[in-house]
Amino acid sequence: MSERPARPTKLPLGLLLALPVLVTVGALIVVPYVNIVIMSFRTPSTTRPYAPGFTIDNYARALTDSFYLELLGDTVRLAVMITALCLVIAYPAAYHLARTTSRWRGVLYALVLSPLLVGVVIRSFGWIILLANNGLINQMLRALELPALPLMYNEFGVVLALVHVFLPFMVLPLMGAIQGIDPRLEEAARSLGASRTKVFRRVVLPLSMPGVQSGCILVFVLSCGAYVTPALLGAGRVHTLTTEVVTMLDQFLWPRGAALALILASAGLIAVWLWAHFSGRTMRGLA
Amino acid sequence: MKPGRAAYLTSVAAVYVFLMLPISIVVIASFNSGKYLRFPPEGFSLRWYAQFFASQPFMDALELSLVLAAVSTLAATLIGTPAALYYVRHAKNWRETFRLYTLAPLLLPEILTSIALLFLYYQIGLGTKTVAGLYFGHIVICVPFVFLQVTASLYNLSPAVEEAARSLGASPATVFRRITLPLIKPGIINGALFAFIISFDNVTISLLLKGVGTTTLPMQVFDYLRWDFDPTTAAASTVSILMTLGAVLAVDRLVGLRAMRY
Repeated sequence: MSERPARPTKLPLGLLLALPVLVTVGALIVVPYVNIVIMSFRTPSTTRPYAPGFTIDNYARALTDSFYLELLGDTVRLAVMITALCLVIAYPAAYHLARTTSRWRGVLYALVLSPLLVGVVIRSFGWIILLANNGLINQMLRALELPALPLMYNEFGVVLALVHVFLPFMVLPLMGAIQGIDPRLEEAARSLGASRTKVFRRVVLPLSMPGVQSGCILVFVLSCGAYVTPALLGAGRVHTLTTEVVTMLDQFLWPRGAALALILASAGLIAVWLWAHFSGRTMRGLA
Repeated sequence: MKPGRAAYLTSVAAVYVFLMLPISIVVIASFNSGKYLRFPPEGFSLRWYAQFFASQPFMDALELSLVLAAVSTLAATLIGTPAALYYVRHAKNWRETFRLYTLAPLLLPEILTSIALLFLYYQIGLGTKTVAGLYFGHIVICVPFVFLQVTASLYNLSPAVEEAARSLGASPATVFRRITLPLIKPGIINGALFAFIISFDNVTISLLLKGVGTTTLPMQVFDYLRWDFDPTTAAASTVSILMTLGAVLAVDRLVGLRAMRY
């Protein structure tokens, strides 16, 4: 039963186990992504997917045209807003969920998870019923003889619905991080005379920073790539890079759409890297 | 109660109300007798359900969604489970690279994956003439969820159990069938549940890859919502929520969701 005779069979078995995923992800992720990068350098054509020849014009246009730059700026601005709102809204709930000893804890945890089980379309639909010009909220306002508010077909509606969609992705990492903080640290700080605010600012918040960071990265990346909710709640009046890319596909401007989509993806990655860099600093500063 | 604590608990309660609000509204709208949800509601009715089940496009979409989710779940489980076994038990070099590679469909923006697949399908001549491409897209985005769940359950399983069986004379195949598989079964089933839900609710992949003239249930709802308000979509949404809930409860009865990791 020494290790040696087992060795020769070990490698092929391992390869056999890894093979299905290597093939699947290779064929359906690696190849298409390499292809889309090549596509982004092709010459666009309005009558077929692309014309012969290669160009960097697609990138040059996207990065110099003020229309696309504004769109990129809007997309990132919305994603930052959504991330910040998610963080502020999720923190108290995550803290409560991490610390509560209530017998309802399981139910509350299920309530946080349950929106994830309901598709994005259905959740956006719920917001449409509430926020539409003739929706529930405006009906109530009218019944109270107050002026109706424009709640949908604008950034407000898109941001509100996206905060809802991504909130569980913020609560879960925060909860995990807060659960990892020994409650005795808070008690010690309290007994040494720190106020509740001070305990939060000097003990809980710095120690929960890893959770803050992963939650923020997750929500930011998801917000940058969101398409369904902006398309439904914005209904053509809120433009983000994703809605613009899908429009371009319909117009058969594939190389230009490919370049724009890749710029969006890399902008997301750069922002995440900057944030990780920056929050790493503040984390050390706070602790 | 101190005012600070009251404010804290109120804000916590508000988050739960916020989370449940739009979903409850859809369910309420599906039982409302009027075309538009009014306040106060006009009355209880099942007419939108009758219309949903009588609508051929909705029934076709529901059927495709269920078959698509079932096929994707099965395929993703068969791909993701061995990958998790490899990652936890066999991988030595490139271990983290392998993990990132397997999780790539989850880490990359779904809309970008969808566009990339669409371009490739057209270039290799597959296009969107058949639904095959739709199946491929759904399978690949489901794989990471199975991988994550099975990996978690493998980490909880001590290798000593398997070694004990080996030392008592069981062959590697027997050890896998009699020891490993039963012990990681909850992880596999939870992973399959995740895969099913991800596929069943997906819009972004289906949006670009659905075949000509075919559509999934969430896509059908999406299209209806874009052009007109029709409470039949509320009934469709509620049916879809109930199906997900049914799958979750079935899995809970089967293995218990306590084993689930997110």
